[in-house]
Amino acid sequence: MLQTLKKVGMQKFLAFGALIIIYVFFAFTGKNFTSTATTLNILASSYYVGFLALGATFVIITGGIDLSLGALMMASALLGGALYRDMGFPLWLCMVIMVLFAMLVGLANGILVTKLKLPPFIATLGTMMIMLGLGSIITNTSSKYFPTILEPDGWFIRVFFKTKSGFPVGAVYLMVFFIITFIVLNKTKIGRYIFAIGNNEEAVRLSGIKVNLWKGMAYVITGLGVGLGSILYSATYIVVIPNTGNGIELQAIAAVVIGGTSLSGGVGSLTGTLIGVFIMSILKNGLISMSLPAPYQTFFTGIVVIGAVLMDVYRNKKANELKKIKA
Amino acid sequence: MKKAKRLLSVLLVLTMVVMLFAGCGTKEEETEYYSVIAKGFQHQFWQVVKKGSEQAAADLGVEIFFTGPEGESAIATQVDMINAELAKNPKAIALAALSTESVLSQLQEAADKGIPVIGFDSGVPNAPAGQISANASTDNENAAGLGAEHMYEAIKADIAAASVSSPVIVVILSQDATSASVTGRSKGFAEKMYALITADGQSAAITGDFAAITTGDVANSAVNVKIVVGATPDITDMTNAASGVLNTDNLLGVFCSNEGAVNGLLAAVNAGSTLGADVKVVGFDAGAGQKAAVRGGTFMGSITQDPFAIGYKAVELAVKAANGEAVSDVDTGAKWYDASNMDEPDIAQLLYD
Amino acid sequence: MEIPLLEMKGIDKWYPGVHALKKCSFSLLKGEIHALVGENGAGKSTLMNILTGIIPYSSGEIYLNSEIVVFNSPKQAQIAGISMVHQELNLMDNLTVAQNIFIGRESKGLFLNDESINKRTGELFKRLNFHIDPKEKVGNLSVSLRQIVEIAKAISYDAKIIIFDEPSATLTDVEITQLFKIMKELRSTGVSMIYISHRMDEIKRIADRVTVFRDGEYIGTQDAETVKIDEVIHMMVGRIIYEEHKKLSKIDKDTDVVLKVENFSSFDVKNVSFELRKGEILGFAGLIGAGRTELARLIFGADEKLSGNLYVNGKKTAINSPHKAVEHGIGYLSEDRKRYGLVVGMSVANNIVITKLKDFIKRQFINEKEITKITDEYIKKLDIKTPSAQRLVKSLSGGNQQKVIIAKWLLNDSGILIFDEPTRGIDVGAKSEIYKIMNNLAAMGKAIIMISSELPELIRMSDRVLVMCEGEHTATLNLEDINQNTIMKYATKN
Repeated sequence: MLQTLKKVGMQKFLAFGALIIIYVFFAFTGKNFTSTATTLNILASSYYVGFLALGATFVIITGGIDLSLGALMMASALLGGALYRDMGFPLWLCMVIMVLFAMLVGLANGILVTKLKLPPFIATLGTMMIMLGLGSIITNTSSKYFPTILEPDGWFIRVFFKTKSGFPVGAVYLMVFFIITFIVLNKTKIGRYIFAIGNNEEAVRLSGIKVNLWKGMAYVITGLGVGLGSILYSATYIVVIPNTGNGIELQAIAAVVIGGTSLSGGVGSLTGTLIGVFIMSILKNGLISMSLPAPYQTFFTGIVVIGAVLMDVYRNKKANELKKIKA
Repeated sequence: MKKAKRLLSVLLVLTMVVMLFAGCGTKEEETEYYSVIAKGFQHQFWQVVKKGSEQAAADLGVEIFFTGPEGESAIATQVDMINAELAKNPKAIALAALSTESVLSQLQEAADKGIPVIGFDSGVPNAPAGQISANASTDNENAAGLGAEHMYEAIKADIAAASVSSPVIVVILSQDATSASVTGRSKGFAEKMYALITADGQSAAITGDFAAITTGDVANSAVNVKIVVGATPDITDMTNAASGVLNTDNLLGVFCSNEGAVNGLLAAVNAGSTLGADVKVVGFDAGAGQKAAVRGGTFMGSITQDPFAIGYKAVELAVKAANGEAVSDVDTGAKWYDASNMDEPDIAQLLYD
Repeated sequence: MEIPLLEMKGIDKWYPGVHALKKCSFSLLKGEIHALVGENGAGKSTLMNILTGIIPYSSGEIYLNSEIVVFNSPKQAQIAGISMVHQELNLMDNLTVAQNIFIGRESKGLFLNDESINKRTGELFKRLNFHIDPKEKVGNLSVSLRQIVEIAKAISYDAKIIIFDEPSATLTDVEITQLFKIMKELRSTGVSMIYISHRMDEIKRIADRVTVFRDGEYIGTQDAETVKIDEVIHMMVGRIIYEEHKKLSKIDKDTDVVLKVENFSSFDVKNVSFELRKGEILGFAGLIGAGRTELARLIFGADEKLSGNLYVNGKKTAINSPHKAVEHGIGYLSEDRKRYGLVVGMSVANNIVITKLKDFIKRQFINEKEITKITDEYIKKLDIKTPSAQRLVKSLSGGNQQKVIIAKWLLNDSGILIFDEPTRGIDVGAKSEIYKIMNNLAAMGKAIIMISSELPELIRMSDRVLVMCEGEHTATLNLEDINQNTIMKYATKN
């Protein structure tokens, strides 16, 4: 028991340690990196990836993957934008529809993977393409924009992005979503079954549990994250362009992996994911503060992902040896 | 024990790296810092803009950081960049926004902080009054109109010979439907062409992917001026769109509204699409491929902006605005070039690779 | 005549092209331990999977308390009071013992209450007299402890019928005794049990009745107390078993030493030294966790050793990877064939030539014709029962899979072969064939290390036996000293 505790503690410590090291690095090298403005930027640019990554953690723990995250987020935002601009729907209704739409597509992913037995990689690759196309179709390939601060519905930005004084409200929502998902994953049956399925699906089935139901649930939760993410994205960036968004899922998946969730399923932590999201966000802002162009961000994220996974492999090996010494 | 040692050594190395960077990075606090945020690096055009801005920075003795997102649809990346630059408290920001709506709160923040914003290239169209100090840009509609004039001269006879029963078509190949500079050029060319055709008494219609500027009744017109936009800004989709255009019957001319469209067309021709000998092609901008096409006669000619001047003037305006001087919009100009004049010194200097 | 608690009548099961169960019957009385035996593929597992609702059946009826029932899912069978202890441990490594046992029955609402299930698990273990921390992660438990968790899980359902699918394959003798004690207690409370096993001695020890299956058919049911084991074996295989007991060893001090292990140590192995001679079968005896497999893996270079020297054919050799071991003519037949020994999704031929593929390359291409020729030779030599060399390994029986692995190492011309539990999960008929092959190999001059948890086969096969206990080398027994009592004495350090 003590050993298990130590192991968990170690894992969090390592990811958190990496976060601190990276932060300290930029604090020395970046321009105004430790300023409040930059701190707010770090929080703000993590909103949508945060929602996507927290949701995706569920699917990845089941041993699945969701490649449709980015495209779905954009399709959902485009749908909301089209309803708002072209159909004149009230903004609150658009937001509700955006979330429901994303959850519905999550459900579709779940059905493809469970009932129809498609490999998650293929199923969600298909959904990704469908969403890219759908986003263009419903908007007639024109970009959609959400209310700007100059419009009456400008409260949207103040409520979901930053207040006038610069307080990052989005970060509050991200924390709330984190707490809720944390409870679901760690304190409810849903989470228990999702972990169990990721570890040994056949055993769970033989225990008389409706595997399809709970696995499908993971995809719906991911859809929920995407739907909420699309609202925060829209409030932060206002303009949504059709045919964009693929690539964002890889950022989210990278954050999940950096946080110590295993792509082979059964192991994972939302706290780790959140740390992973902030590591990516700090990298993004830090490299700009060092006046390095955008491609460096992708480059260094790749290095961090490989480093995180290596650390995980090394740590597991050591833990096994420790176990043997004890035994 | 072994593990602890290894962890310690990793930490040590990291600390050393941090100190190394710290040593060389932060000592230039004294120079004036300006941010130049472009739309991307995809085109050679932006590389020349960058040269121009760096030249200006050197001439004026200021520090600049020229940056931009990976592509012209990466709005989120650009917004994050603007946020990050604002956090660095620059003396002024020069900005070519991918979308005005997405940067409104950032403009407000700059205004609140007293950081002047200079638009360059396409700038920040329709920005709230007073938030953009000045623009350094090409007038895209005029520039494209120049191309329409040259093309019309070459196809005048064919247009006069066309009728409702045997119509002809002029296509504008456009890379995207969002950037104001590209839409402006498409609009400028379409409207100028339409004006020239109708002025000579021929019937014409503008059709295609920009609902805002379609006009006339295509079924009862002898000339169709059609705007075609690629499915995505990717070169592959542009190539597909270009192949489709080249397969159009009675095609008289094609106007490629930026280098992306030019490259799409050239790629389509390389991939086997036939470009009829009589079809007149007019390009925009000046990449290596396009220059070869103009020199070789595949293109009748092209319009070039002056990217170097755009970059140079942007920084110049930014420095002036930061120092409290009154600034106003600068037109950075456009020129027609073809095989006959492209080696003349005053043109050749605008044709950067 | 007592009315049976459970009765399965005329159960028929067709798979595409295969008649897996032919009008099979089975009955179980209340408070009975009923042994179910038969070679692999006889249909025992299929019948049990049908009973527990895991797979559907083609025709037939199941009566529970004289009422006809149909189970479409394991859940339905559980509700009816039937649970199963699976052979392939169906546990989630990342969950705790308690979480595993109560999965699917955590609480009424959405929220979990781990405290309550920990308490209930604690009570359960107390009743069963096992000492396992309910909060320990299952992944940290040994194979036999996991087996116990699986058994506890089945019992926790308050089941009226519990099916044990070969639990003793992974349990130590002490644990088996403990298990049997629990089973007897359960029997006294009226629980009925079906016990599937390959070990004939266990039938006498625990069962009330024994039912035999062969080739998908019901052969007969006998009273366990009165039936003779030979009779059961005869029913199972339908033929006389070939057995040969070792009378004398041809190995002596003058035989060449082909492998010398000197002071091998790792986390699991403590300072072990021994010599292996040409043509010798050296048995490794010990309880589960004694470090036999771990020692074998050190020799094979699969794990890192802390210290020790290795001599192959008298020359000091550093083997730090399986690749090196293979180069020096050492072959290792893993205890877990499917995981480490075979690529089950590939053909027999491809499995046999996999380590020697480079010998079958002609002008950059794989010479399939030559592969087929060589493979056919081995199929004949080892009597591998497969329709062709192209058949996928996963469709073969356990014994034939084992022969494929043997063929692989023979082709590799390995002079030293390590057999780790070579007969685990293999039926009685195939076992004797494996023994025959091993004896032939030894006669050909191969040196063999045989790890086995079944003492009778170790005694029958070995020239000498090396006994281990908790990682230590406790004794090396010569032929005349090899017997069950002596081995157990050293294996338990008594």
